[in-house]
Amino acid sequence: MKFVKAILFIAITAGLVYVLDKPWAPAPALGPFLSPFCGLWQNSEEVIDPKTRVTLQLDSLRDEVTIRFDDSGVPHIFAKNDFDLFYAQGYITAKDRLWQMDLQTRAAAGRLSEILGPATLTLDQQSRRLGMGYGAEANLKVAMTDPRSREALLGYTAGVNAFIRQLAPKDYPIEFKLLGYKPEPWKPINTMYMLEQMTLTLAGRSNELAMTNALKKYGRETIAQLFPDYPMLQESPIIPSGTAWDFPKLPIPKAVPPMVPGDSNLVSSKSLTTLPPRAPKEEGIGSNNWAVGAEKSITGYPILANDPHLELSLPSIWYQVQLHSPDMSVYGVSLPGIPSVIIGFNERVAWGVTNVDADVFDLYKIKFKNEYRNFYWHDNQWKPTHKREEIIHVKGQLKPYREQIIYTHHGPVTDSDGTFGELPNLAIKWIGHEPGNSFITFYELNKAKTYDDYRKALTNYVGPAQNFVFADNEKNIAITVNGKIPLKYKEQGKFLLDGSSPADDWHGWIPAEQNPFVKNPPRGFVSSANQSSADTTYPYYINWSFAPSERGIRINERLQAMTNANADSLRMLQNDNFSVLARTLLPRLLSILETRPLTPKQKAAHILLSNWNYQNSPESIAASIFETWFPLLGQAIWNDDFASPEAPMEYPSRDRTLYLILKQPNEKWFDNVNTPEKETLPDVVYQSFNASLDTLTKRKGAMSPEWQWSKVKDAEIRHLSRSIKPFNAPPLVTGGGSSIVNAMTKRKGPSWRMVVELGPTPRAYGIYPGGQSGNPGSPYYLNLLKKWEKGELNELIFLTSPDQKVPHLASSLVLQKR
Amino acid sequence: MNFFIIAILSAILQIFAPWWVIAIVPFVILFWRPAGSPGTFWTGFGGIAVPWLLYGYYQHFISDGALSDRVAKIFMLPNGILLLLVTGLIGGLVGGFSGLAGYWVRQLFRRHPAPLSGPGA
Repeated sequence: MKFVKAILFIAITAGLVYVLDKPWAPAPALGPFLSPFCGLWQNSEEVIDPKTRVTLQLDSLRDEVTIRFDDSGVPHIFAKNDFDLFYAQGYITAKDRLWQMDLQTRAAAGRLSEILGPATLTLDQQSRRLGMGYGAEANLKVAMTDPRSREALLGYTAGVNAFIRQLAPKDYPIEFKLLGYKPEPWKPINTMYMLEQMTLTLAGRSNELAMTNALKKYGRETIAQLFPDYPMLQESPIIPSGTAWDFPKLPIPKAVPPMVPGDSNLVSSKSLTTLPPRAPKEEGIGSNNWAVGAEKSITGYPILANDPHLELSLPSIWYQVQLHSPDMSVYGVSLPGIPSVIIGFNERVAWGVTNVDADVFDLYKIKFKNEYRNFYWHDNQWKPTHKREEIIHVKGQLKPYREQIIYTHHGPVTDSDGTFGELPNLAIKWIGHEPGNSFITFYELNKAKTYDDYRKALTNYVGPAQNFVFADNEKNIAITVNGKIPLKYKEQGKFLLDGSSPADDWHGWIPAEQNPFVKNPPRGFVSSANQSSADTTYPYYINWSFAPSERGIRINERLQAMTNANADSLRMLQNDNFSVLARTLLPRLLSILETRPLTPKQKAAHILLSNWNYQNSPESIAASIFETWFPLLGQAIWNDDFASPEAPMEYPSRDRTLYLILKQPNEKWFDNVNTPEKETLPDVVYQSFNASLDTLTKRKGAMSPEWQWSKVKDAEIRHLSRSIKPFNAPPLVTGGGSSIVNAMTKRKGPSWRMVVELGPTPRAYGIYPGGQSGNPGSPYYLNLLKKWEKGELNELIFLTSPDQKVPHLASSLVLQKR
Repeated sequence: MNFFIIAILSAILQIFAPWWVIAIVPFVILFWRPAGSPGTFWTGFGGIAVPWLLYGYYQHFISDGALSDRVAKIFMLPNGILLLLVTGLIGGLVGGFSGLAGYWVRQLFRRHPAPLSGPGA
């Protein structure tokens, strides 16, 4: 009996331990996860006592580093040389954002499946086939040959690893505990992966297959009418019209008419290699920046503003930091994983970036000799291909997944148009594969003192092309459409290119100093909002489509009218909710509705819209109706002509749609070809108006405060995992929208708002949604969110020495060499 | 007394050792030291659960439940305190059964029933 009981209780205990020590996906192993000695409870953090002074002894430091934290949790790093400076940046960034760094580099490198299993295999395959590793390796080689980037990468890496090394499992960020894996050592190539990821986010799309499908259906003439290379209705280009292009122009490569696939099949975007189609260009990823000159500001010095719009996440994509060394003192936001500050200011200059959207991602149709794909036809000869083996380890599977990727001189052959059997036959030519050292641009901007330093820094930059806005305390303002931009014939890459013809290759680059730029323009300000880089007088082709013009138009109108500006004037412009789109279109739509008999419900909506001030404010119901209506109107016009699931086609742009409605009301496109009746513009307007009210009623019931714009838009900020909902931000109340200066959509928006008043000492303000810490158990996880949501900014504390006495300073950390 | 020894010893060992040391400490203590049968389960249960609850509550408290309340929601629990009770229950069960196992193994090596209170109790 005793024996039975002894065995029984030993067995129960052992069984419990076994069950609790084993992960039950998606749940982690409950024993270690729940134990207060090593599990989730350990990730609870309290507010650090401002008087705390900690000293750490660390390997491979060269000298002492002092880090002061302010009460927002921002580190101010004081080092005596570059190596130590970036060492400390790596150490501190890892302390706050280690899991983010791990996840983002894994995503870029196609290594998510190692920790997440088969569910992410297709994502990893996409990264591998796109050649993210190929690009990162090429860039690392270049970076390691320049002593400045080499020092920064090695310092940063040593710092991150110094942090990782002293972690016990109980100290791992909560996401490691939830997913049941360990942080691995950081490598310099991870920084390159982060840069690749940025290039992918901002310049990793193409729509030439969809354009080629449309070309095939409608022919060149119609396509030229519907897809013009410059907005037809309205535009306010980044480089003001009238700016002189006084440089010796390079000859433009000879144009080649677009290829139209000869076979009867339309080009399918469905890759036959099981890849989902890459997402088409989407609106919402873009940014605003501007600088007003001394004559427009009350301070007598320029003021600069920037708000990059990206998918908002927790933790934020940005991390605030001040970096101070004997020849550098810079404050701004960094990207975890990349040494230096990406957007910021120092004692003399400030800069910011918005995306250019240059066409630096092209697809080439490849003619292979046979299905072995060892040779491809180019320049009238068979040229050998190269192969790169990609090996993806998948959690829970013994054998890794292997795939051979074929490379031509264009790039990896990964997509298929369905004309080469099961095999991919479309090569990608992408700026992400171009070796370069974009890091040096940021490094030199961090140290820049003058306008010339800024211009020189930009020449190192490869991609993703950015509009770099600039201001300095010598009262210069400038903006440069900057990046390595291929020299192309007009519309080269608008449609699928011929991979066998040298005439379709990229023909070198637009010389860096000939990229569109303007310094101290007569209008007294510079700005960009992703719209057309320059008007049609600029001699080179950059792209045929840019972000719609409304944000740029609004910013330029307000800056034009602005006098005696201070930081707060620019902050208010960042929060501007005015809809240029509604101003342009709505009066016409409402006058059309007036010709129809309306039901009481429709009348009520009509009255609301007629009285609307075009402000997409959070409480506006009119904004909800208009924002629901406009996309439905576009679909009502174009769906019958352009919707084609088996061979997706590009839709005409917003500007083109507006032009059609306002200037070409009798065009055939208003007729729905799927009905026997002949629809006209008024029919389409009336039907889509009705449909928008139905849509809102279906979602939110009869018209009520539930129809307010913030509730209809329902903006949210998700945890980076996108799946751990309790780590998301609480529901947000925001206005704005995708065509609005305050570009807050459901999931994308101002990921960092910064305003810098230049002057003898800079005064700067900034905020992002979230907080410095990536730990949901930290008081610094969401501490900046409320202020951001209200459109307010924090004054940024710019220290000149580590022992400076200023308010809002908190604890300090001293790193010493062991 | 056994309860205190288990609580203190397990708390100290858990700082260095893996979590499953909580399945060993009650076993060893109740194998080594005599104890009355009826309370054995609760001695082991409490010896592990009490330090878990106290330490967990401290961490919940200093962070105002920032993490525990969120993780609780992952497990479909309304708040961190409930997650803490589940935590205590799970630790306690391991401790309780481990203690019982130790007690009965000790009985195997004895001819007579154990006295109700040991010499040191």
